[in-house]
Amino acid sequence: MEQFVFFGGKGGVGKTTVSCAYAYRCANAGLRTLVVSTDPAHSVSDVFGQQFGDDPESVDGVEGLDAMEIDPDDEMQRHLQEIREGLSEQVSAAMVSEINRQLEMSHGTPGAYEAALFDAFVGVMRDESEPYDRVVFDTAPTGSTLRLLGLPEFLGDWIDRLLYKRKQSIDLFEKAAIGDMEPRRLMDGDPVLERLQRRKEFFEFAGDTMRSDAAFFLVLNPDQLSVNETGRAIEGFTERDLHVRGLVANKLTPSPDDDEEGRGASYLREKVATERDRLDQVREEFDPPLVAEIESRTREVRGDVLSEVAAALDVETGPPVGARE
Amino acid sequence: MTVADRIETFRAALEEWLAGLYHGMITHPAYEKIEKEAEDVEDEFMLACFPDAFGIPSPVSYYTAELLPYLEDEFEAWERRLWDRESLMERKGQQYHF
Repeated sequence: MEQFVFFGGKGGVGKTTVSCAYAYRCANAGLRTLVVSTDPAHSVSDVFGQQFGDDPESVDGVEGLDAMEIDPDDEMQRHLQEIREGLSEQVSAAMVSEINRQLEMSHGTPGAYEAALFDAFVGVMRDESEPYDRVVFDTAPTGSTLRLLGLPEFLGDWIDRLLYKRKQSIDLFEKAAIGDMEPRRLMDGDPVLERLQRRKEFFEFAGDTMRSDAAFFLVLNPDQLSVNETGRAIEGFTERDLHVRGLVANKLTPSPDDDEEGRGASYLREKVATERDRLDQVREEFDPPLVAEIESRTREVRGDVLSEVAAALDVETGPPVGARE
Repeated sequence: MTVADRIETFRAALEEWLAGLYHGMITHPAYEKIEKEAEDVEDEFMLACFPDAFGIPSPVSYYTAELLPYLEDEFEAWERRLWDRESLMERKGQQYHF
């Protein structure tokens, strides 16, 4: 298994439960495991009954398991602050307010939140994954996750264009400086080019890691909406050259005992039959195998229930394969 | 003053004149033209970095904002050029000396 494992799916299907259960299983198999929530509606804290922040913290009572929750808002503030500090160092007081306006604007655009989230989770993969054998990501609902995963390539192209433009204009400025005149901009040591280059490498790292060192699983519920959405998500992943390793069916209705009669029992029997149809549909229509069927619980998934759920997951927990730098 | 000296002085004056003429007619307009072209490309760069300045949301402006501390001169010049550029024709016309 790869070092990075992502769980995605429609909102409310139980991604958090499944990813926590998987992380729990990995930790029990003796792997140093980190579970990271990138879902703005954090619930990893609820599963383990313990508050987590944006640094990894060990989970009480589970050997070898750490957890962290990324808050894109905090990440955005940090980013803004960092640039502001750069501003006050580099830019004259007269221009600061002018540029500040631009800065605020760029952090208020709709993409900013996603960019912050992307930065945060790639940051975890690059800087914090070192001590762990496995890092499990509990991602935001399908749509935004897909957009996030699509970002590296898209942004890489964009940065390429910017690099090209910048080089072109500097080159012209250098040519314009005839004789012993000082060119207005110099190619060597241009901080803008250097920054863009660093960004480019960041995106390349993200793209490479996700293609070669990550496994994706989708969580679904046995209802038509969820199945349809899963189908679309699989397509989306394929379009981005990423392969969904397996599907996890969650919240299956338990069937009643044979000798049970009455409204409750017949309701359950009917429901189980419909769900079985949906699952058959999933098995037939979708390429990724159904790796787990998890029955719905009457109690919240916490503590010992978590280990039951973990046992139902037929996702391998072997040590990470492939050489990493 | 010998004849040789007078020729020397004349040649120096002529060289200065020619250099000035060459600079005025060839190098200066060329330098100006290239520099304006460079400014144009730089404007394109700025526009690609900060289209939200014109109300066009950009998916990368979160990242390009990181460049702002290093773009003071460019940013100021960009704004100034945007103010006094009426049309592309006018801008391009400035690059030729009729």
